[in-house]
Amino acid sequence: MLFREIVVVGCGNPLFADDGFGPAVVEELQKLDLPEKVKVIDGGLGGPHYLFTLMAHSDEPVKKLIVVDIADFGGKPGTLVRLTPEDLPPGSYRDVHSWNMVEPLQLLKDRVEIAIIGCQPKRVTEPNVELGLSDEVEKAIPKAVRHVLKEIGVDDGATIKVKADLGEEGTTPAQGGP
Amino acid sequence: MSKVVEISPTTRHEGHTKLVLKINDEGIVERGDWLSLTPVRGIEKLAVGKSMHQVPKIASRVCGICPIAHTLAATEAMEASVGCYVPEDAMLLRYILQCANRLHSHALHNILSLPDMYLPGTDTKINPFTPEEPVRSVALRIQKLREVGQTVGEIVGGEAIHPSNPRVGGMYKNITPRAREKIYDLAKEALPLARDHMEFMISVFKNFQNRDTVEVGGMEVPVPDTFGFHNQGYMATAPVYGSSSLDDDPTWFPERWTEVRPWDWYMGETEIDYDEPNYPIGGTTPAGNKAWPQMEACMGVPLYDGQPVEVGPRARMVQYRNFDLKGAMGLQIARQMEYMDCIYGMMEAADALNTSGKVLADEIPQGDGTLGWAANEAPRGSDVHLVKVKDGRVRWYSLLVPTTWNFPTCSRALEGAPWQLAEVIVRAYDPCVSCATHMLVVNEDKRIVAQKLIE
Repeated sequence: MLFREIVVVGCGNPLFADDGFGPAVVEELQKLDLPEKVKVIDGGLGGPHYLFTLMAHSDEPVKKLIVVDIADFGGKPGTLVRLTPEDLPPGSYRDVHSWNMVEPLQLLKDRVEIAIIGCQPKRVTEPNVELGLSDEVEKAIPKAVRHVLKEIGVDDGATIKVKADLGEEGTTPAQGGP
Repeated sequence: MSKVVEISPTTRHEGHTKLVLKINDEGIVERGDWLSLTPVRGIEKLAVGKSMHQVPKIASRVCGICPIAHTLAATEAMEASVGCYVPEDAMLLRYILQCANRLHSHALHNILSLPDMYLPGTDTKINPFTPEEPVRSVALRIQKLREVGQTVGEIVGGEAIHPSNPRVGGMYKNITPRAREKIYDLAKEALPLARDHMEFMISVFKNFQNRDTVEVGGMEVPVPDTFGFHNQGYMATAPVYGSSSLDDDPTWFPERWTEVRPWDWYMGETEIDYDEPNYPIGGTTPAGNKAWPQMEACMGVPLYDGQPVEVGPRARMVQYRNFDLKGAMGLQIARQMEYMDCIYGMMEAADALNTSGKVLADEIPQGDGTLGWAANEAPRGSDVHLVKVKDGRVRWYSLLVPTTWNFPTCSRALEGAPWQLAEVIVRAYDPCVSCATHMLVVNEDKRIVAQKLIE
């Protein structure tokens, strides 16, 4: 099914260095054994028009949407923030491609609980292609995974298991895990 | 005496473009230049040296709207270069994926086109987001069709946006009998909706073409009988799927393709000497500014037989279905007629699919540098990828994406239209200009954000 009760969407383009943060977090999340009610999607650049605009009228009600993306808030590269649609200036998720559509997250926020895990990028190389995240942003991936799991909820098993695997707060997990 | 007006950026489509229009005293376009402002990113150079398995994944990221078309075109271009024939059941899965993608894309484009249109029989413009009937039912129908397209795409492609199932040599895995039933059920559910929707949308576009005038930014402008006409040719490779150089009877010919620089095609430096502050979304560019389309255009200009050609739904309909409606609304109508192809295409391919059949070639050659190409009939038209693979590595790569073909053709179609309707013509082509990056930018006032720092 396209959606489930909790949907995690990683947004961004891996062709432009740290803009690939969202898809990179999704790649890690997809290695985990998550509860049935959770769906993890690599949104690429298509989140707003492929997913967000569909959730409001979906037959499969989405209760919670967790967006993982970069956010330029002037912080130290790799720093994470938790945002809600109210924190975002108009246009942030209207659509990046000048479609001038009504903002899908603003439409959604009254029906669906929305959390945005944002990571301060070090460099976004658009329009020049550069594969690979900066070290700082790379290191934020396990932290972001942990925060997504917190958002999913501790009653679902996966969180507790992964917390144990992650070891100390803020450290990169050992090779092969979580 | 000609004047120059500029609409920049254009809106309600994917990507960043502008229109530079030379108009006469009546406001009719004498020469129109429509050009991409999305910077060139050199993806073809980046691909060189990468493995033939990696490049389709990279290619799928060049656009947030067409990842399926780029994945399929890139994968099949690799197969064409190395000479790898894919099992039939894998091709059926790709066919279903193609239909699902087109269904979603056309439905989404309706949302972008509708605000220019009127409810037939009224002078009321359509706001697709209004909660009032009859538009609300139309919007819900569009959403349902999109959801069916996305769900079928996910079932077959592995993921709804960037399909992970297609690979060089076929597909990673076949689908289960239950998944095939699901596809069939979804298609059956969508069939009556798609038919009703097609009929509604065609009536809306015909109504626009038959009106004497339409309103834009408080201006009442005439709709010419030849609105959006051009005299260029059409290029399509298949009614639904596409073609590649592995075909016994290929339908695209690289030797007929040439590419020129925008410098050779677009207007030179010019001064904008007409503006209209009431034009929707902030007015046109103020008079006194300069425009230089030759320098500003960020794309090559591909030609087929030395001429610009139109690609997309109408090109497919003209070439394979004897379709003969011209103009911007003719193109829109052709697009709506493809809804039924998408639904029946899914059902027929699902019927033919053997869910126990193998979907990966026994042998995947590593290539000797032969040129291979694949043209995928993306929603917007032929998406041609050309590649030379040697020893499993990409040695040369080129992408000719649909809207690149349409830029010069659409520029010619602007002639004879009131300048205020130039964007309506552009939108009829459903432009998909290769994307720029995606970034979530937070307010200047960082206090709120700072309070929510979590790591």
